[in-house]
Amino acid sequence: MSMHVLYLRNIKTTKMSNEELIAKLKPIVANYAQDKEALEKINPQTDFINDLKINSANLVDVVLDVEEEFDIVVDNESMEKMLNVQAAMEIIAAKLAEKE
Amino acid sequence: MIGNDIVDLIQASEDSNWKRPGYLEKLFTSEEQFLISSDIQPDNLVWLLWSMKESAYKISSRKSKLREFAPVKLICNNLIIHDNTATGNVTYNGQLYFTSSIIDKSYIHTIAALSQEELASIKVEIIETKDHQIRINNPDCVSHHGSFLALVYA
Repeated sequence: MSMHVLYLRNIKTTKMSNEELIAKLKPIVANYAQDKEALEKINPQTDFINDLKINSANLVDVVLDVEEEFDIVVDNESMEKMLNVQAAMEIIAAKLAEKE
Repeated sequence: MIGNDIVDLIQASEDSNWKRPGYLEKLFTSEEQFLISSDIQPDNLVWLLWSMKESAYKISSRKSKLREFAPVKLICNNLIIHDNTATGNVTYNGQLYFTSSIIDKSYIHTIAALSQEELASIKVEIIETKDHQIRINNPDCVSHHGSFLALVYA
């Protein structure tokens, strides 16, 4: 049996990595996060309300800032799920892909 | 089941600029936006409607254990505003919630319940404190914001 290997190493992609997305998200949520310790440890599992203690009325500001930063429109259906870093990254990636 | 939400009006004015373009559209239905734009005290109406939505959402999320950030799906209705109080309804995912609010000069506090009877029997305790960990006699729902802590009992 021969093994099939697909090498993707050298394919150039315009897709932003998770690290790049988190690096861009961090200063946005930093404006509203009340738990600065959780902010320093930000990772895909970080919850905006439970971990960062972002006031729910400020979640809208996070969404509006994300729209400006990435030049995308976050529709209400996407906003419903934007409760943590992972969901935010998925939504941003999907909206950026739609633009291409 | 009951819910509550308190908004410290000074804290809210420091933390949120609801006049920011796009802000109201993401939080409020077009009818709610119209109400806000035609009110002589739009600040108070923004936070009154917001606290109505939050108090109803708290009941819903505890019942269903599901979380979502869908403020426009929480629809305020039948709002009657007196001098320092207000009553209304919120509908969310097909469920009707009854609300009653107090409009103080420094805060707005809303309680929500699934029936008028349940709403009428709610006991409220509002404490001015920055210590948000205080709990007295096992409250059924707790809300804190800025300088205020609100505890409610069914």
